[in-house]
Amino acid sequence: MTSNNEILSDKVGDLYEYVQERCLWQFYSRSWDRVENIDGILAQATGMFIGKKLDTPTPQDRYFMAEAKIMVDDCLSRYSWLKDASEEEIRVIIGELHGRLTDIAITSSKNHELTHTLY
Amino acid sequence: MPMVLLKCDKDIPERQKHIYLKAPDEDTRSYLPISNAATIPGSLSERGCAFCGAKLVIGGVLKDTIQMIHGPIGCAYDTWHTKRYPTDNGHFNMKYVWSTDMKESHIVFGGEKRLEKSINEAFDEMPEINRMIVYTTCPTALIGDDIKAVAKKVMQERPNVDIFTVECPGFSGVSQSKGHHVLNIGWINEKVDTLTKEITSPYTMNFIGDFNIQGDTQLLQTYWDKLGIQIISHFTGNGAYDDLRCMQQAQLNVVNCARSSGYIANELKKRYGIPRLDIDSWGFSYMAEGIRKICAFFGIEERGEALIAEEEAKWKPKLDWYKERLKGTKMAIWTGGPRLWHWTKSVEDDLGVQVVAMSSKFGHEEDFEKVIARGKEGTYYIDDGNELEFFEIIELVKPDVIFTGPRVGELVKKLHIPYVNGHGYHNGPYMGFEGFVNLARDMYNAVHSPLIGLAGIDIRGNKAAPEQIKEAA
Repeated sequence: MTSNNEILSDKVGDLYEYVQERCLWQFYSRSWDRVENIDGILAQATGMFIGKKLDTPTPQDRYFMAEAKIMVDDCLSRYSWLKDASEEEIRVIIGELHGRLTDIAITSSKNHELTHTLY
Repeated sequence: MPMVLLKCDKDIPERQKHIYLKAPDEDTRSYLPISNAATIPGSLSERGCAFCGAKLVIGGVLKDTIQMIHGPIGCAYDTWHTKRYPTDNGHFNMKYVWSTDMKESHIVFGGEKRLEKSINEAFDEMPEINRMIVYTTCPTALIGDDIKAVAKKVMQERPNVDIFTVECPGFSGVSQSKGHHVLNIGWINEKVDTLTKEITSPYTMNFIGDFNIQGDTQLLQTYWDKLGIQIISHFTGNGAYDDLRCMQQAQLNVVNCARSSGYIANELKKRYGIPRLDIDSWGFSYMAEGIRKICAFFGIEERGEALIAEEEAKWKPKLDWYKERLKGTKMAIWTGGPRLWHWTKSVEDDLGVQVVAMSSKFGHEEDFEKVIARGKEGTYYIDDGNELEFFEIIELVKPDVIFTGPRVGELVKKLHIPYVNGHGYHNGPYMGFEGFVNLARDMYNAVHSPLIGLAGIDIRGNKAAPEQIKEAA
């Protein structure tokens, strides 16, 4: 029998695989660019998934919104379980996704250029 | 195990750190090829030089700019006309080449006077052109010619001209990549925000990292025109020098080639707060995704969907025709760096093609993070591949077609494996919806042409060439 943790892990895995395969924003040049993108885009995506869209007062916020919109639309069409997910479940899943992306793209990355102070 | 030491590399075992074979359940936290590192002695690299990265890739694309190469004549020819980036003003950049033609006496006594004379001669001969980029090369950098001082003097004497200098001799980096960097950072430091242009649309962007290879830029421009987006500058496909001085005016930077041009997009974000949006311009699915993101940023989603529907209606049946016939084709991509990650999923998703080996000449670790995340298990990922490695990899993966440059292309043609020019294209453009059909057509023609096989048959019978001549050929 599949446990709740396994189901959650599978759902996080779905989104993680999608982002790894499709999203260039996780791989921008420096660690601070990647932190900014992962934080900003996943915050916007969470809002869209739960029907509470965030404001976009700056151009950078509008950029996060644009990336998140395509990600959310794609994921909703790929993963039917997303339509039935509760707000709480979405927050947990996106939180886990945030951790996994931060680990592969920043914390455990073998890219030696991530911490250069200049571009 | 996944980092691979090929048999041909037994005497240069350091190469193992540059070749990766993706295995199940692995990711870039475990293995990432070392890249943007000096070529290992003993490895016959196919890299270009740093000067080439600045001139051939970026600066030389501009349609209204004299490209003055301060060095021996060979540096000029070897970075001219080997890429096909047309322009809408009669291909000025491809018709002419300029050099100070440095000889031994100039090296001994200094070349600044010769440079000044050459700059003035070029402007005198072409009075309709008043923009120039001056490049140092290895010898003129070594003798310490001060090209900035010369350019400044000429600009004082000729107030209508503007000159940008690129001090990036061939030896200054491990590959072309250094030249991209130097030109990007030099331009933002010295030329951006020195001019403004008329704004004609509520939606403005810079399109960065697209070099109008066989008309890529011009094809994509038809999309931006339909969407009502004003392009402030093209960095640098079909681009104009003065437009690039106005980059600060854009609301958005859309980046295609993040390797050659990500630096200027990063700096524009840092200094002017203009967001950077990276897209893939090759492939139906990616192109549609890029258009959707741009339109979402500007709040013009309906226009984007209309454009995508129109383009797909026009080109999808043609793409599907090729997909039906290309399904299962094994492809190798041996190009500069970004096309590995731009293409590996787009050919798989849009054409059913399987990419079995990829090699990058000047990619950085960031490029390998992208391509390994997107690429398949059982595929080889190679940094700075050398010729013997290419032979061995061909034996291991047996590709049906190889997308690479003309130099390696000639090598694989002798093995009777079809090659398509992955840098300058065979019959482009390859970007956008129409472009990807062109790519599919060139791949189909390459894979299914009987000529490549027929060329391998020695019809001389008993008079066949001796074995040692065959080997040398």
